Amino acid sequence: MNVITEHAQTTVPAVANKPLDTAQLEPKIAIRHLNFYYGDARALKDISLTLYKNTVTAFIGPSGCGKSTLLRVLNRMYDLYPNQHSEGEVIFDGDNILAPKQDLNLLRARIGMVFQKPTPFPMSIFENIAFGVRLYEKLPNSELEYRVEHALRRAALWDEVKDKLKANGLSLSGGQQQRLCIARTVAVKPEVILFDEPCSALDPISTAKIEELIDELKADYTIIIVTHNMQQAARVSDFTAFMYLGQLVESGSTQKIFTSPGDQRTQDYITGRFG
Amino acid sequence: MTDIALQDGPEIAALPARARVLRRLRLGDATFYALTQAAAIAVLALLGGVIIALLLGAMPALSKFGFDFVTTERWNPVTEVFGAIAPIYGTIVTSIIAMLIAVPIGLMIALFLTELCPIPLRRPIGITIELLAGIPSIIYGIWGLFVFAPFLQQYVQPALINTLGGLPGLSVLFAGPPYGIGVLTAALILAIMVLPFITSISRDVFEAVPPFLKEAAFGLGCTTWEVFRNVVVPYTRVGVIGGVMLALGRALGETMAVTFVIGNAHRISSSLLAPGTTISATIANEFTEAVGDIYTSALIALGLILFVITFIVLAAARYMLLRIERRIG
Repeated sequence: MNVITEHAQTTVPAVANKPLDTAQLEPKIAIRHLNFYYGDARALKDISLTLYKNTVTAFIGPSGCGKSTLLRVLNRMYDLYPNQHSEGEVIFDGDNILAPKQDLNLLRARIGMVFQKPTPFPMSIFENIAFGVRLYEKLPNSELEYRVEHALRRAALWDEVKDKLKANGLSLSGGQQQRLCIARTVAVKPEVILFDEPCSALDPISTAKIEELIDELKADYTIIIVTHNMQQAARVSDFTAFMYLGQLVESGSTQKIFTSPGDQRTQDYITGRFG
Repeated sequence: MTDIALQDGPEIAALPARARVLRRLRLGDATFYALTQAAAIAVLALLGGVIIALLLGAMPALSKFGFDFVTTERWNPVTEVFGAIAPIYGTIVTSIIAMLIAVPIGLMIALFLTELCPIPLRRPIGITIELLAGIPSIIYGIWGLFVFAPFLQQYVQPALINTLGGLPGLSVLFAGPPYGIGVLTAALILAIMVLPFITSISRDVFEAVPPFLKEAAFGLGCTTWEVFRNVVVPYTRVGVIGGVMLALGRALGETMAVTFVIGNAHRISSSLLAPGTTISATIANEFTEAVGDIYTSALIALGLILFVITFIVLAAARYMLLRIERRIG
């Protein structure tokens, strides 16, 4: 037992953010008894979890544990595919987003998503961002330009692309493309941003930039990040939810999950014993 | 050293056998190379032969009429005066109208099949479209003549004349009596014939759009139409243009179905309801009765012109694709 503790102390990543008092925070999304099915296979089992406004929550767990699935329930991306369905409730500002009458376009504008692979659209850098803005707002050109610049600045990309806004989005490097996608998401003015392993295709410098960005963005948005990288979860998140085999094993402040996890499986995972 | 030499001993003994095998393989390689090369060169030689034969065959007519051959309308086998502008015009106009109709419909079908169609319906509709491509053109021809043209004559063309025929600007296009057969009928049949090409090629390229790219657009809150318009089409335009060009090539050269329904009149009418002719229809109709060198030569010259038109279309398509690719960078 002593050996295990020592081992854990040497490999647990350092947690950057202080634990927050949940009583002081405003709940943004409340997941209640959520089950999710791919056909007949149950991928999420009775998940209940609260996500707080202006915080970063990390979903961690080994591959196949359902963390990306959970993320994709939150903006109902699964609706694009047949034979996938969910049960339970996800309350977002008082509305159940799983309700059939939910307007999906509006929901996805309010809950933006950044994907694992950078996904710039086949158009210019400027258009990549202006495109999303135009979907919802009819703006005069000057204002649109301002919005694009603002979004690019917010994503720490402006200085790198301000001279080539007409260049194709695909001509940027992988890290720049990912920040372009973040700018695109920010420009639509969402309330929640979902990050699905945003750094797994990026080099360490780009990863550091994006993590810095996530830290800044939480002042304005509620952020949820799925990550395979425990150090990343420890660096950027306020809350951590550990999932295993479709179940939510444990959730709480990142400080607590990484220093005194309540479940042996969490302990084993964060110390790198499996996963 | 000695150790190595000793170990190599048995293998050295086996070397002649291995060399024989290798020699045989090399021979096989060389033969295969020669065969594939010959196949590729045969295509070039065939194309060259066709061009030379067309040029030689067309020479008498072209040298007799000169540039007038492609600018005059008169086509008189009796006095042996030939001008090709009417079939050229008919070929181009029927093909353009066919594309104007078939491209939007084909793209809509492809969009429906890839994005909107309930899964159980996808395969039946897709297979039906592909069957449409398999119908021989002669069947389109007799169906066009005996079923489609009378239908148009009785119901559609009178309606067109009564409505569009009264509008300024459009009145010249829809003037005259409803013959049933004519340029518009041929164009409609062509549209039906090229529709499967456009549909199946665009469906295939639409399906090749990476799902995560579509998810990203849906993730911004796009509707299906917005995703299609702004992400799927820009991403796939090279493939779609390729399919459209293939269809256009087919429309330009289509012979049998057009011959049945176009009316085969060597004149240019402003009205789309009037009979006309196309290059391939003229050749197919008149080859058997072409007596005299000049008449035959004029028909071969028509063939040469069709060849040139098709070539220009393909070259233009290539150029367009190059420009798009360069702009995307």
